[in-house]
Amino acid sequence: MRSRRDVLKSAVLGGGAGVVAATALGSLGPEAAFAAQKSFATQQVEPGAPDPNFAEGRIRSIKDNTLLVLGSNMVFHTIRVVDGTSLWKLGPVPFDQAKPGDGLYARGVLMPDGILAAEAVWLNIVNIKGHIRNITSQTIHLDHNGQDVLCHVVAGKSVAVHSESPPTADLSMLKVSQHVQIMGAWRPDTNEVDIATVFSPH
Amino acid sequence: MARSTPTDPPIDLLAPVQGEVSWFCCGTAWGPCSSTGKGACGTCNSGSLQHAWPNTSDACWAITRPDSCGVSLTRRTCGFRHRITALCTGASVVTAIADCGPQTDLFCGERSCCGATCASNRLIDLTPAAYTQIASLSSGLRPVEISTA
Repeated sequence: MRSRRDVLKSAVLGGGAGVVAATALGSLGPEAAFAAQKSFATQQVEPGAPDPNFAEGRIRSIKDNTLLVLGSNMVFHTIRVVDGTSLWKLGPVPFDQAKPGDGLYARGVLMPDGILAAEAVWLNIVNIKGHIRNITSQTIHLDHNGQDVLCHVVAGKSVAVHSESPPTADLSMLKVSQHVQIMGAWRPDTNEVDIATVFSPH
Repeated sequence: MARSTPTDPPIDLLAPVQGEVSWFCCGTAWGPCSSTGKGACGTCNSGSLQHAWPNTSDACWAITRPDSCGVSLTRRTCGFRHRITALCTGASVVTAIADCGPQTDLFCGERSCCGATCASNRLIDLTPAAYTQIASLSSGLRPVEISTA
């Protein structure tokens, strides 16, 4: 049976026909994509070493289905998005939500020509820990390593997870001075984040 | 606050240990991560298969204090390899220590689950490159098993 990664690879090698093949798998949400095919793969990369099948950086330009990304280490990445690629930006989104200036992490398959065939792309995703400095009904001020990060509650998107309890849209249990982890989407070139999930230990 | 000394022997010494894993950025980066350095070992990069461990030194232990959650972990230093296996999917990755963390004591007793499978306390943090080998970044927190590689 062909893996999802095999299909993504052929989508790039085979051009249009491959893209159609990838479409047959559907555009899975990130969680489903990982649950579907990450099990028991043999690790090819030495522990501690850079992973060639992973990229990070900010989008410089977008042409057709290709993202030109400048890594924070000043290395360029060319990332090909196909119909089977999952994209996240505060939740699963279509490709047209990717914008120049967005930060990203991407995982896929590095092709011989240097293009990364993307399996998943996370746009502007951040996962920061800190103390809550202040709370209003619409915002959380987070002290993250001494840096003030303004986190916005987004209706229909933001949830809190209190230990093993199910996610809840009610963020009223969060308290000033408590320590939390906030996973969300950075607003480029600001100190502001839209909240996806607040993880609270209690 | 009074701190207890680590229990003996550490729980991860003779057998794999279960706990929570999250992800963190390090090295050159964008957004709120841009102020993050290369970690306690001076080698940490978001794009490398690396992790943070709560007991890399006395100074590290003094910050992370997993013992205050009733967990003792073995001292392991930069470059030591662990295998991290997601309890949700069975996917695993082998990574090397590149930083001190997570701050286990700030999340004492926290428990994360997938279905009926759960694990408590934050014992390890992975770089984005490592975390995406076993789960989606958007999951944020997952129960795992940690063993020596």
